[in-house]
Amino acid sequence: MVKYTHILKYLSASAVFFAPFICSGQVEKQLTPAEIKQQTIVTEPVTLKKGFIRSGMLTNYRVADKYFTDDGIKEYYPSNIWGTKSVYNLTFQYGISDRMEVELSTEYMNSRQESQKTEFIAATNTAKTVVTRQKGTGIGDTYVKIRYQIFPETSYRVSVTGNINLAIPTGEKNPTDIRSAEQYDLPVGSGTYALGGGLFARTIFYPYSFTFGLNYTYSFTGRKKFEITDIREIEFQPGEVLDLSLGANLHLNEWIVFSNELTYQHKDKGTVNGHYSALLPLTWSASYRPGLVFQVRRFRLGESVTIPVKGKNTAADPLYIVMAQYVF
Amino acid sequence: MNRTINILVAVILLIFSAAPEIYSQSLREERDKYTLLTMPYNMRPLTLYRGQLKADAGYKFAVKGRKFDNDGNPVQLRTSGTGSVYHYYFADIRYGLLDFVELGAETSYIRHGVRSESVTYTSVSLTSAERVTVNQLKEIKGFSDILFNATVRLPIKYKWFDLSAKGGIYVPSAEYKQDKPEHRITNITAADSYTVNYKYNYTNGFGVPVYLLASQVKFTFRKLSLQAGLTFRTPAREGTSIRWEENLVEKTFIYYDQSYKYLLSDAWFADLAVHYQATGWFDIFVNVSREKTTGGWTEYWGNKYKNRETELIMIEPCFELQISPSLTVCQNAGFPVAGKNSDAPFYLFTTIRFSNFPFFR
Repeated sequence: MVKYTHILKYLSASAVFFAPFICSGQVEKQLTPAEIKQQTIVTEPVTLKKGFIRSGMLTNYRVADKYFTDDGIKEYYPSNIWGTKSVYNLTFQYGISDRMEVELSTEYMNSRQESQKTEFIAATNTAKTVVTRQKGTGIGDTYVKIRYQIFPETSYRVSVTGNINLAIPTGEKNPTDIRSAEQYDLPVGSGTYALGGGLFARTIFYPYSFTFGLNYTYSFTGRKKFEITDIREIEFQPGEVLDLSLGANLHLNEWIVFSNELTYQHKDKGTVNGHYSALLPLTWSASYRPGLVFQVRRFRLGESVTIPVKGKNTAADPLYIVMAQYVF
Repeated sequence: MNRTINILVAVILLIFSAAPEIYSQSLREERDKYTLLTMPYNMRPLTLYRGQLKADAGYKFAVKGRKFDNDGNPVQLRTSGTGSVYHYYFADIRYGLLDFVELGAETSYIRHGVRSESVTYTSVSLTSAERVTVNQLKEIKGFSDILFNATVRLPIKYKWFDLSAKGGIYVPSAEYKQDKPEHRITNITAADSYTVNYKYNYTNGFGVPVYLLASQVKFTFRKLSLQAGLTFRTPAREGTSIRWEENLVEKTFIYYDQSYKYLLSDAWFADLAVHYQATGWFDIFVNVSREKTTGGWTEYWGNKYKNRETELIMIEPCFELQISPSLTVCQNAGFPVAGKNSDAPFYLFTTIRFSNFPFFR
């Protein structure tokens, strides 16, 4: 009996000593669905919870002012041409399970190119002005993306999510409404299917989150007219694309996040009629994208700017992005 | 008349001499730095609090799609392909020496490339064809001069009215002489068929000291505030700079510079803002500003030519958002309304403000 009394004493003492540790697991805060829907880009699950829907619009705007040359030098476009491009991207995301989500997005394009050039002809002592007006408006390509948490963040400190992307060429791929060599409508679609996949890793050390992304895209062969003088569509295949991203996000307060991302994109040379062509050159760019994301309950508003730092054969102008999302 | 002036001076001296008394009472109540750092716009004075340090960093992206001509008519630049963009970076630092005296310094950096309409000259004869295309780009790039300034305000606790006066000088710290052009010949398809790319490099400094005088007034009625200001900028003296010219010999440019004198125009800047303090951390406001330059001249080939008078009226919806006690974000969008001889850019200006009391607990 005395022996059992000692055992009881040890058990009682152990229970008192370990109680806080045992209890700490039990008092971990359980978030309600409504609270999950109000989480920020730092604290939210990496994929949507089962049955959740997120819808949003992403608008980006760029002006053509500078570009990276073939030698990687940032230069102004030499002649007077004014080009702008706005893309309005509508996104719909759905949580199939707590680890898998599907995303469907489409875009409305609005691009313009305008210029005016004068030619003086000595032989006739006359001058003529050539006015260029080109616009590309309409629904562009459609994108489907599936994300799956391979290493879910509930079990691992670093979550790893795999994704598969498909681009469907729903946008007009050829120049249309050709009124003259200078005045016609620009294409708004790429003209080819593309399939991609990648990995996305994230870890949270509140109030910070760190991300890493790697994506590869393969484009299939397509046919389109590159120039308005092309009588028939030409076979082409864009080069393979590799995207890398490295991000660090910081909570400035409970509902504002300062996002930072370094991105690198490498696009290989493409082919036209089976041969490498200057129409589809090798391009690469390294950019920095700071942004602010405001979370107001289920509504999210964000703005960011992508600043190209280095590159080759690509635009060197900042890209402004405004995002609005709502979780249902 | 002299008696009136004497009375006025006496009243001002009385207010300043009484200031420590006025503040000695309020200091005990409010010298909590978190309260001061998070003071809403409608409750704070026109200058910083004593010991408060504030540093701003801003970026303005402006799209110059049109301009106003001499008669005030808008001229579309987009359609002629001569639209352009500004990238403007701004930084300033201010320190509250006393509750009614503030010292500050500010500078900025700009990058702006302006393309002119391309022109092609064609000459065809029986024996040859000449085709020369001329592109022209003028780039303005560089730091502005540093403005050192001091601001004083009424030495009373802010309740609903405040008045401030500011004086400053732009010290000619920035490069002001035009850099050597970088013209190039490209697309040489024949002996007399090629493209000439003119590129002129301009800087952003005044080249001479410039004085600045400004005054602000502020009224508050509950959540609404009205702030109005008037700023005057004038050069201290005439300046001397250089202008680059070029000769094209055998497809090679030979540059030479010429000295010229100039007198900067005087600039007037008036603004009026209506603020609404939606919550303690969110202030939205609309600002209307008018900028006008007059006077000044520039020398060309030994003759002085009067600078064009310019004018621009802008309307700016803005917000100020307090993120944390030390951090504030401000954003405004600028829309040109009217003007004369002036660019008419649309812009987005984002500023991040850091504020703290480095020497107080």
